[in-house]
Amino acid sequence: MSETAIGRGWGGQDVRRELHSELLEINMGPQHPATHGVLRLLVRTDGEIVHGVTAHIGYLHRCAEKIAEGCDWRQWMVYTDRFDYLAPINMNFGYAVAVERMLGVRVPERAEHIRVICAELQRIASHLIAIGTFGLDMGAWTPLLYCFREREEILNILERLTGGRMLYNYFDIGGLRFDAYDGFERDVLAFVNIMEQKIPEYDTLLSYNKIFIERTADVGVIDLATCLAYGCTGPVLRGAGVPFDCRKDDPYSIYDRFEFDIPYGEGEQGTVGDCWDRYMVRMREMYESCRIIRQAVDALPGGPVKAEDLKKLVKVPQGSLYTRTESSKGEIGYHVFADGGSKPFRTKVRSPSFSNLHVIEKVGPGMMLSDLVATVGSLDIVLGEIDR
Amino acid sequence: MQVMTDLFARVFGDGLSPLGLLIAGGLTMALIMALVMASCAIVFTWAERKVAGFIQSRYGPMRVGRWHGVLQPVADMVKILGKEDIVPQDADKPLFLLAPFVIFVGSLMAWAAIPFAPGFIAADLDLGLFYIFAVSSAATIGILMAGWASNNKWSLYGAARGAAQAVSYEIPLALACIPVVMITGSLNMNDIVIAQQGGIWRWHFLHDPFLFVAFLLYFVASIAEVNRGPFDLPETESELVAGYHTEYTGMRFAFFFLAEYANLFLVSCIATAVFLGGWQPLFGPVFLPGLVFVIKAVLLVLLQMWLRWTLPRLRVDQLMHVCWKVMVPLALVCVLGAGIWMLATGQAG
Amino acid sequence: MTQYLRGIYDAVASALKGMRITAKHVVRKPVTLQYPDERWVLPARFKGFIINDTNLCDGCLRCAKVCPVDCIYIETMGKGKDRFMHRYAVDYNKCIWCGLCTEECPTFACQHSLDYDHALYDRRRLVYEFVDPKRPVPCHKERRLQMGYFVEQVAAAPPDPDRIAKAPRRADLPEAAPGAGGGEGGGA
Repeated sequence: MSETAIGRGWGGQDVRRELHSELLEINMGPQHPATHGVLRLLVRTDGEIVHGVTAHIGYLHRCAEKIAEGCDWRQWMVYTDRFDYLAPINMNFGYAVAVERMLGVRVPERAEHIRVICAELQRIASHLIAIGTFGLDMGAWTPLLYCFREREEILNILERLTGGRMLYNYFDIGGLRFDAYDGFERDVLAFVNIMEQKIPEYDTLLSYNKIFIERTADVGVIDLATCLAYGCTGPVLRGAGVPFDCRKDDPYSIYDRFEFDIPYGEGEQGTVGDCWDRYMVRMREMYESCRIIRQAVDALPGGPVKAEDLKKLVKVPQGSLYTRTESSKGEIGYHVFADGGSKPFRTKVRSPSFSNLHVIEKVGPGMMLSDLVATVGSLDIVLGEIDR
Repeated sequence: MQVMTDLFARVFGDGLSPLGLLIAGGLTMALIMALVMASCAIVFTWAERKVAGFIQSRYGPMRVGRWHGVLQPVADMVKILGKEDIVPQDADKPLFLLAPFVIFVGSLMAWAAIPFAPGFIAADLDLGLFYIFAVSSAATIGILMAGWASNNKWSLYGAARGAAQAVSYEIPLALACIPVVMITGSLNMNDIVIAQQGGIWRWHFLHDPFLFVAFLLYFVASIAEVNRGPFDLPETESELVAGYHTEYTGMRFAFFFLAEYANLFLVSCIATAVFLGGWQPLFGPVFLPGLVFVIKAVLLVLLQMWLRWTLPRLRVDQLMHVCWKVMVPLALVCVLGAGIWMLATGQAG
Repeated sequence: MTQYLRGIYDAVASALKGMRITAKHVVRKPVTLQYPDERWVLPARFKGFIINDTNLCDGCLRCAKVCPVDCIYIETMGKGKDRFMHRYAVDYNKCIWCGLCTEECPTFACQHSLDYDHALYDRRRLVYEFVDPKRPVPCHKERRLQMGYFVEQVAAAPPDPDRIAKAPRRADLPEAAPGAGGGEGGGA
């Protein structure tokens, strides 16, 4: 682009010069403290104003879907852990539901309840990281560490339950691998009590802090039309004002037995669909998860945790099925193709962060560089899920 | 410097001419100020990490040095000295090499007019306060040099933001000190401190409400001036990696680091001298003036650290908005209000 | 104008409220552990590094088959009664600590230990060998009984996840095998 500079010369005459200027192409490269993983954002800016954003992904591609063609049905469960490594149980849940629906297997009641408890605990853990790193992008270092302190409690419970702290391998086709430990309900309830006291603390420290509100309200507004066009789901869609949640609108497992609300953005501090709304949706979802956990623990029955009639070597009859479940980032979909054998023919994963991320190309132009960082943070992407 | 020249006069008797005394005293004071700057960096890096740690429910450095990692800064210094000195390939070499020194010198020069104790001031200038604000602006050039010469677009962003911020926030900084100058009738730092004698109620920040607001304005502007806390956009670790000093390693980086913590202590010392009574004690006669001064300045530094670890940072246009649309008008109102207060209470002469 | 003043008030008030919370944390005890002086007490089910007690292992190859990343290397020679296992290695460059092998093992040979800090300088040393090639382990049941190795029936109930705490220790075994090569044999 070129601009014309107009001035006065030494002799008092008017002078016009053509200034050649161009947009600055800058890489928020694969290694960057603010891009939540190995993501490359090619940003074209004019000073502080962004004129174009292109997201380059694929740095974390590990061929998980291709590997599925060489693995057993049960063995591939451990690969699903590695998609969204901040909320692996939700990934496991989706795959387990997909294969169980194809097999027509009934999962025992106790296993269903424990699954829901684990999934909601994992949702809280994932949102804690989302909130903490969002604050970190804004420059608030402390809430991140407070969120990690709470997440540590969740990870301790899951460690006592499954043996792993981040990648669990606990879900199995037809139930769980083994039963919960004695004292599981007591630990979970103790944690939920603590969590419900800490959320107001985060609110005071971060949510209603004027500087934080100034940085996030009216910033990165993703309206409903854009969400629908890009296929955004999860807190991004709910932040735009739509109370759509797979747990209520397309229930799986035993979610239809529990009472909980779906928080959605109302433009409380700015416009509907801004970063603050998405952030607040996540905060309120943590409350709702606590509610679900309490109800699930109250209703936890005894009994087996594995489906009795399932062989060790699972053989799924021919057919294909798309199942969607609600992960902390949005709607995770598993499109499973079976050919009757003991290995999947194809497992295609529809990851929520993949669709959510590309909104930035539409919403990016026109905002400042700091706002770009805020918006990418509020989308809460995980590269493991995007690249698989 | 008076203390130093007297000391040399006593030691050498008539052996040194007045010029010799002046030079000897001056050099010693300069050395002491440089040592003070270096020890600031050492003490305050440790303090910052510990404060940050305890605020965040963790310990901070614990292992180096027996007690709570007190030798951690020493270990950091040794590590920094052992690093490879990298100059980026297409960097503008003279500017790249000069930038850390410009920033360091800009900070060191301002230390000359800080009154630590009666007589213990490197240069007892009649223009003391004015001189401090004038020379600390030199650091802005250093920031621009560092960002431009690094041949790195992110450093350039940091430098542009840093220069804009530093230049803008000098205005509320200076305006907030004007009421104090009006009351004291002098720009000399010693006079300003001496005018606050007589206990805490005579200190300038409690003189009238306008001066209290001026003190708060000065405090906030000083945080912005040293690129800290909620105003650390030039070196946002989550956006620009490290801003204008991304490409610096080793001892050059240590100079930036040193200058940042020295600046932190410097603006706290100025606030102490101008608003909080300098070396005057809370009540009673003057007792251990140097220690009193340092304690007050350290408390302000800890307050700045507390603010940094609590608040998120402001975006660059919000920063400018706060400066030009909030702080400058408020500072002008304070100047006006302080003047009217003086007239009303009959202090104007 | 009111919004302007309200903004200033909000900024100062919310900053002070935030500072109160951070100040409260300064006086609380930190939640971190001073590793390596203080260590986390690991639960019984913790999935640490796998160890294979070759006293109990009979080379049934179930763990190697179930491993999703094929990180267990077992080499046997001979057939039938003369089958011996001369290599049992776990490659920790590949292992994902999923624990499927420990669930499959019918004799409790393959178990999770409670170790997690095995940092090394050389990647090749992460392949842990459990069998000394000079003393291969017999696989067939009769030969095992003959040579004094432990033999147990395949468990009828699914394995208990707390089995590490409950698994038979070497001292409980009817006859400890004479100097069987157990434990880690160092690098490849």
